[in-house]
Amino acid sequence: MEPIIEVKNLVKVFHSRRRKITAVNDVSFDVFKGEIFGMIGPNGAGKSTTFSMLTTLIKPTSGSIKVAGFDVENHDYKIRPLIGIVPQKLSLYPLLTARENLELMGNLYHVPKKVMEEKIDYYLKLVGLEASADRYTGGFSGGMKQRLSVIAAVLHDPQILFWDEPSTGLDPQTRNVIWKLARKFNEEGRTLVFTTHYMEEADNLCDRVAVMDSGKMVALDNPERLKETTGSTNLEEVFVHFTGEEVRD
Amino acid sequence: MTIKTELKDSLIVAKKEFKILSRKKALIFPLFLFPIIMIVFFGYGMGGTVKDAPILIINDDAGRASSSLVQEIGGYTPKYDANPMFSVTYTKDMSQSEAESKIDAGIYKGALIIPQNYSDSIAKNESTTLTLLTDSSDTTTSGAIINALRQLLAKTGLVSLNIPSIYGDLEYLDFITPGVIALTVFMGCISSIGSAIAGEKENGTLVRMLMTPVSKRSVILGKTIYQLILQLARTVVLIFAAYLLVGFNMNGSWLAVALVLIVFTLSGVGIGIIMSSRAEDMESFIQLNMLVTMPSMFVTGVFFPLSSVPGWMRCIAYFLPLTYAIDAMRTIMIKGQGLSAISTDFIILTLFAIVTFTLGVHLFRREA
Ligand SMILES: Nc1ncnc2c1ncn2[C@@H]1O[C@H](COP(=O)(O)OP(=O)(O)OP(=O)(O)O)[C@@H](O)[C@H]1O
Ligand SMILES: [Mg+2]
Repeated sequence: MEPIIEVKNLVKVFHSRRRKITAVNDVSFDVFKGEIFGMIGPNGAGKSTTFSMLTTLIKPTSGSIKVAGFDVENHDYKIRPLIGIVPQKLSLYPLLTARENLELMGNLYHVPKKVMEEKIDYYLKLVGLEASADRYTGGFSGGMKQRLSVIAAVLHDPQILFWDEPSTGLDPQTRNVIWKLARKFNEEGRTLVFTTHYMEEADNLCDRVAVMDSGKMVALDNPERLKETTGSTNLEEVFVHFTGEEVRD
Repeated sequence: MTIKTELKDSLIVAKKEFKILSRKKALIFPLFLFPIIMIVFFGYGMGGTVKDAPILIINDDAGRASSSLVQEIGGYTPKYDANPMFSVTYTKDMSQSEAESKIDAGIYKGALIIPQNYSDSIAKNESTTLTLLTDSSDTTTSGAIINALRQLLAKTGLVSLNIPSIYGDLEYLDFITPGVIALTVFMGCISSIGSAIAGEKENGTLVRMLMTPVSKRSVILGKTIYQLILQLARTVVLIFAAYLLVGFNMNGSWLAVALVLIVFTLSGVGIGIIMSSRAEDMESFIQLNMLVTMPSMFVTGVFFPLSSVPGWMRCIAYFLPLTYAIDAMRTIMIKGQGLSAISTDFIILTLFAIVTFTLGVHLFRREA
């Protein structure tokens, strides 16, 4: 299988209030073209930090990352148009309407106007937001905001999608929509990398799951094999097997 | 990344800012009303005292009476202050128009011309007239100078003062209007760019924007373009409002005003970005903002002339771009002078703009 993301000995150290935090500690892995790649791990494991480096938002302390053949160090402007990002923290302008938020994203990604308008109409309908297209997103529910964030990240037709906890805090219906979108985008040939705290979500969607803990990647395989090798019946048990029972800070 | 794309991107950002502004109904109103309120309230409510005002004495008389008058002026102290009120420069044989040009240039706050026959006239007990030129664009100082000289001259009873007004009859309101404009631009820039960045940091939109192919430079440039347009619009509204409400007269060139404000806005934006990069959230930014803008309101000469504040405050003032912007605005708007008269201010403002803006761009990080 052909890797679309190659990560080697990735390290990220933060210096915050005189404390040294090693958020990502010597992590190496590949993501294959066309797969759904899930990352699980306790709070503070370093999932979002890894995402930030993969998406060129922050620079690694050391190690190398190649995304779609370009290394993040020197080619972040080549990588950015190729990836679509749904950050963990919702990021919509509350005083812009749903459509305007999408248009802004489309413009920032240089999507031609005509194509963009067609896509916006299509995706708004796809996630059931066409009736709310001209409402300010400040008044949206969490589920509406999340559906909007997901389609905002696909307007420029990216090859790779990065979704950081796309279904946290959502009701089962909305989560269902997110799952459908994940499968749909994947069937269109896009690679999807996402994080989650819902084990059945990882189990259902992922071709492969990576388990992170305290900045290390402690396991990486497809869900079935992970269950097999650890003698677990579900992914929850796999998770506890690798990360223990202890609550993280 | 070509320059054309970066410019186009920055326009997308600027357009977004305007769209959002147009929806902040509760913001637009105070944005334009605040400076008008300042002019009206402070204009009618405040004054100040003067010390160390630079004045020029042109003594064309070699007699005893004039030299004692000159000495008295040099040693004059106001009622409640032990410091001399004037710092005097002496000369002779200077024409009135030359003295006026020195006042135009801001070198002196006033010039007293003592005619050749002064001592003779006093000796002969004849009445005589002195000419006093003052920088009436600075109403507080010129008022104080006139009062002090009237007191000194009242003793002989023979001397009268001829006070031609160089810039027309001005009032305190005329004095503060250019200052208030500069102040509001300064405060507006810092608080609106800073709180926008701090706010976007809070709601995650800034980081999201920095994940797109748009460069950091374009984002900052877009926000700057927005500020430039907004602040210039506020200035125009303010000048018209001041004209309608308090009869303020714009004597100078609009273009020169715009030029000063553009350079000045860049410094403001730079300072705003620097401050917001130090603040984790909106609240810390607001406090930081108060710390910087409140003092600058009082030390830079908006409401009373720089010559009336204590020395240590004046020292602070020299480190604030607002000081130079106010001086330049007054020189243009009241004295009606052109760019040559404000060249020093302009150069200093440009330096401020380059330094703060570069530092701001540097400190503006992708990582939230
Ligand atoms: N900008 C930063 N400055 C300092 N420390 C940071 C920064 N970002 C993250 N960290 C720290 O790095 C560690 C990893 O954080 P990260 O957000 O990557 O975890 P995560 O796996 O995404 O957790 P969660 O499941 O809670 O989202 C944490 O200890 C966090 O406090
Ligand atoms: Mg996270």
